[in-house]
Amino acid sequence: MHAAFSVIAFTVLSGAGLGVLALVALADLGATYLGWPVLASRQSLALAAGIGLVLVVAGLASSTLHLANPRNAWRSASRFRTSWLSREAVFALALLPVAAALVAALWFDVRPRRMWGFSLATIALAWTVLACTAMIYASLKPIRQWHTWRVPLAYLVLGHASGAVIVEAIVRPDQGATWIASAGVALLLAAWLLKEEYWHFTRSPENALTLEQAIGVPRGVGPPGTRQRPSVMAARLLDAGHSKGTFLTREFVNADPGARRTLVRVGFFVASIALPAVWLAAGLGHPLAGAAVALSCLAGLLAERWLFFADARHTVRLFHGDPRT
Amino acid sequence: MKLGLVIDLDTCVGCHACATACKEWNGASAIAGPLTDSDPYGADPSGTWLNRVRHYEVGAFPESKTINMPMSCLHCEDAACVTVCPTGASYKRADGIVLVDESRCMGCNLCAWACPYGARELDASSGTMKKCTLCVDRVHDERLPEAERQPACVLACPAHARHFGDFDDPASHVSKLTAERGGFGLLEELGYKPVNRYLPPREPPVVPSTAPARADAIHAPATPLDRLIALARKALAG
Repeated sequence: MHAAFSVIAFTVLSGAGLGVLALVALADLGATYLGWPVLASRQSLALAAGIGLVLVVAGLASSTLHLANPRNAWRSASRFRTSWLSREAVFALALLPVAAALVAALWFDVRPRRMWGFSLATIALAWTVLACTAMIYASLKPIRQWHTWRVPLAYLVLGHASGAVIVEAIVRPDQGATWIASAGVALLLAAWLLKEEYWHFTRSPENALTLEQAIGVPRGVGPPGTRQRPSVMAARLLDAGHSKGTFLTREFVNADPGARRTLVRVGFFVASIALPAVWLAAGLGHPLAGAAVALSCLAGLLAERWLFFADARHTVRLFHGDPRT
Repeated sequence: MKLGLVIDLDTCVGCHACATACKEWNGASAIAGPLTDSDPYGADPSGTWLNRVRHYEVGAFPESKTINMPMSCLHCEDAACVTVCPTGASYKRADGIVLVDESRCMGCNLCAWACPYGARELDASSGTMKKCTLCVDRVHDERLPEAERQPACVLACPAHARHFGDFDDPASHVSKLTAERGGFGLLEELGYKPVNRYLPPREPPVVPSTAPARADAIHAPATPLDRLIALARKALAG
């Protein structure tokens, strides 16, 4: 699949922002009602949640850049009952005022009687939006690398792992290492294991469709006298019918990670997993160190998300001559 | 009603007349048109087509066959492109035709991703999604003579490899063809219930013959001349 930068940036930035909002709401809920250790001053939490909100809005704005006809973007919430993209739009729009109210309550240190309601709603909506984003991809049966439970799980864990790094980068200078740091290390390790398992899955031929299946060889498409053994018959593309690129070749066929796959996997591990995990565990307090680590984490995720697209082999590739998806 | 096409892979000669007739009719139609091209006479021509013909070879020579395969929207009963559309631009009509209301389309590409067949193409100039309309502006037009109330691709096909009709009617021409010839849908594994049917190549009747079998004829023993040439080649190479 062609990876539009605006879409990659959208899922990475929104994912991190939603992770930040969920973790901050969880931290405030735990500290206020459940006796968890106080994470940071409420102003620091407000700053973190505010940055989370900005990331979500920036991601949503970025997502509109890949629309070829953005004049109709306002209609995107109109098919809630069937479309995951519609659901994402509706829940994201619902989240924005709730999260803004949470930021305001934290910043002005007011504790409305039903503060837990704001926090719980923020957590629930952040998780729902993350899941809807992932389901846009996971619901697409023609792309077997996406049509798996691994995709929503990875989006949730990666969003929270990068969110934890950002929260810690903001609260650590005035508070020292917090429980978010330990949670962040655990989330980063889980994210790494999930992605390694995912990359193993995408390379295995499990559920792969073939060019022969696509053009109907098992259903009798082949030369005379060979119908009894279609399983051994191979098919190949002679001519795609067009001399130069089409929408289909640009969108589905041309992407090929090739040798960059290894580079991306190593880069993702170093920038998004190892460096943030070491920083979280080591407890360096300098604010600039935290900002640099958070940026490194997001940059690694951009590369990871690029590979998520480049690795996705749509069934349209079969009709263009690929032997299998 | 379940309108759709039957495409005969036995008789299709791969001439692309259906694709060009489609481009001609729908490019000028108020429903799908215009279908724009970029750099049409230049070094890197590209453009929007609602029907594309591809060519495959199945089997190994000499037991191989060329398959010409026209592909357009299969007007799935359970059309994923309609399900995923967030704006309601994609819809399925009561007669089975899947259409795009371009005045609602925001050009997000999600329907193209959801379609396993590559039936949808984003038009670069309008920024909206284009797809086969099954010539909805021909097939129901009662001002046309009845024989012409068919999609442009069906009328244009010189090999009569394309047929249009209602698959809900078991007595229709397309239903009968499908039953007689073992018509199948593409990638039915995915469960979208495509309506269009493809007819596999026919098994030709066995004609008694005294001539050597096809494979033997291809690998016939070398004549003295062949041996001489082989010897000469060897000598030249050595």
